[in-house]
Amino acid sequence: MSQPDDLIKEMQNGSQAAFAKIYESYHKAIYGAIIVIVKESSLAEEILQDVFVKAWNSCSSYKIGKGRFYTWLLAIARNASIDATRSKAFKNSNKNLHDENFVDIIKTHNSLSRQTEFIGVQKYIDALKPVCIELINLLYFNGYTQLETAEKLDTPLGTVKTRIRNCINDLRKMLLDN
Amino acid sequence: MTEKEIISSGLLEGYVTGSISSEEIAEVEKAIDQFPEVKKEVEEIELALIKLSESAAGNISSTIWERISDAIFKVKTLPKAEHKSRSMSSVIGWAAAVICFLGLAWMLKQNNDLKRELRVTSTENVILKDKVNTNEIDLAEANNLLEVIRSQEYETISLPGNADVAPDAYATVYYNKDTKTAYIDANGLPTPPRGKVYQAWSLIMEPLTPSDIGLLSGFEDHKTRFFKLENIPSPEAFGITLEPEGGSKTPTLSQLYAIGTLGQ
Repeated sequence: MSQPDDLIKEMQNGSQAAFAKIYESYHKAIYGAIIVIVKESSLAEEILQDVFVKAWNSCSSYKIGKGRFYTWLLAIARNASIDATRSKAFKNSNKNLHDENFVDIIKTHNSLSRQTEFIGVQKYIDALKPVCIELINLLYFNGYTQLETAEKLDTPLGTVKTRIRNCINDLRKMLLDN
Repeated sequence: MTEKEIISSGLLEGYVTGSISSEEIAEVEKAIDQFPEVKKEVEEIELALIKLSESAAGNISSTIWERISDAIFKVKTLPKAEHKSRSMSSVIGWAAAVICFLGLAWMLKQNNDLKRELRVTSTENVILKDKVNTNEIDLAEANNLLEVIRSQEYETISLPGNADVAPDAYATVYYNKDTKTAYIDANGLPTPPRGKVYQAWSLIMEPLTPSDIGLLSGFEDHKTRFFKLENIPSPEAFGITLEPEGGSKTPTLSQLYAIGTLGQ
């Protein structure tokens, strides 16, 4: 999506209204990224709140033209979520959920709601190749670098780059071409 | 890299997911500035990933934004004007209470400080009064001595040091033959060794007859080293010797410190 640079500037100048619009644009995706890591909705809501408070407090550190604003926000969300998973309370709870990836989370939400958009999503998700699920899970949701992913999967770095390109291409066809 | 090369490189995906190095980020940003197609590609990748995340989100509690804006802007949404005025008056009330309490605490502290200061000042006063008293007494004594020295009734007799015993020592006697009183200024004598005391004598020269006229006791602690001696028989000379504590009946002439005759 095209980035609302004007709103970002206004927010950096202290506009609460601009910040509210930015929250509206990004909060759902950020919440999705959080819940894929922490799995549990009340904890995810708590983290979502912390992430946007932190984003407001440190928004001057984001520079337009130096990385995407969404990428910046996502990094804050990932760090907060991964921090939360390191707590003792988290480790002791929901042990059987820890191995779930984003596909499982999407399926769970889909089965809980009858919204047609989710039904559409599930169809596409089912079509995602297992290798793509693994790569998107590591690179996008868990914040691995391409180099770390190559090492973890014992795959050449070039292959990781080509595959993530193809996987996101598939995703774009599924999600954007309708 | 050409436009096509960068688009197919996998770097743009890494740029959006935040999984490439800072050198690679710089490379992508250069390409974004250069080629509009690259920017469009980045935006589409981002949109696809945002949609993917959103599909994982499910339903989000609608109170979160309120909680965030409360935390950041400290502004409560106030549904009714009535609430507003009540909360304003309670805010004012609390503020007044806090100010009042702070005022009381401040006054209490002031009071304690003043009490402490007063105590210190009173003590200082007592000490100063004592000093003034002592000084007044000292002054009266000094004036008294000055009068003695100046007056016609007192004859001044110098007692130079005995060259054999104490060549640097000296003493002065102020003698009133009518009242048979003498003041001895012994400031020029060395401090007597422990267990010894200066003894003053009046002397008749032919034949040499010494009479004890008193001890210069408490020499070391004496402020002026002026000693008043009374009931002195008509002398021709005065002498001062060093004697064992308590004094002697006859002077120890080998310890004669100073001697001087009248009428010189």
